[in-house]
Amino acid sequence: MNENTLRFTRIFEAPRQLVFSCMVEPEHLTHFWGPAGVTTPLDTITVDARVGGAFTTVMVNDRDGSTYPTSARYVEVTPPERLSWIEDHSGMTVTITFTELGTRRTQVDIEQTNVPEPMLDPAAQAGFLTSLDRFEAYLAQHAGAHR
Amino acid sequence: MTVAEDQRLDAMFSALSDPTRRAIVVRLAAGDATVNELAEPFNLSLPGISKHLKVLERSGLISRGRKAQFRPCHLELQALDVAAGWIEENRRLWSERFDKLDQHLRNLHEPPNGDRHE
Repeated sequence: MNENTLRFTRIFEAPRQLVFSCMVEPEHLTHFWGPAGVTTPLDTITVDARVGGAFTTVMVNDRDGSTYPTSARYVEVTPPERLSWIEDHSGMTVTITFTELGTRRTQVDIEQTNVPEPMLDPAAQAGFLTSLDRFEAYLAQHAGAHR
Repeated sequence: MTVAEDQRLDAMFSALSDPTRRAIVVRLAAGDATVNELAEPFNLSLPGISKHLKVLERSGLISRGRKAQFRPCHLELQALDVAAGWIEENRRLWSERFDKLDQHLRNLHEPPNGDRHE
């Protein structure tokens, strides 16, 4: 583990196979891929879920219509356990691990590696660590919400 | 994030995808340096180092003195802050995405507003 790895965890009250499907089926992705205030139209999503296959989306800002295209290549597709892709523009690898916590409960861990390394300067590194601290606080809060 | 900011980040990430350029950024974090001072430790020719510096300059990560004879290279710390801000943006992206996924999974389980028409 190094400072250039970003990790996120969330527990969902749903079976593992369903949560995995949500991450590889456009009909599901269109419901949640864009963050708050951003929509990802179904016809902009391409998923070729096999090693070397493309994963592309276009996120559209609800307010001003500005678009954010994303494109990546899958490097691992192991249903329903693991999914990994490399983003074309940043070279960042995103790996998602799905862990069964029960028949209707799934832990999702996101690990982003090869995060571009502008964090080498001490001031920027401090900013990075602050972000991680905030994220941990956020996780603690949500872990509580999910019991 | 605006398209302009996004393009700027693309340029920065692309500039930082090369180990020599990352090493140059680390060296400049310690203080300004001339092209000659940078070329020496990396065992690069002057044209070789100039090529790397041009990429870094275009990305906004470094600037170069206009007046001084040796045009010292300077690391633009606020450009690094933009990159650090990206980390925070990325965290927010996944948080909000997961909030929506959570809601989507709930909707699959039972239709919204308790409506149950088939």
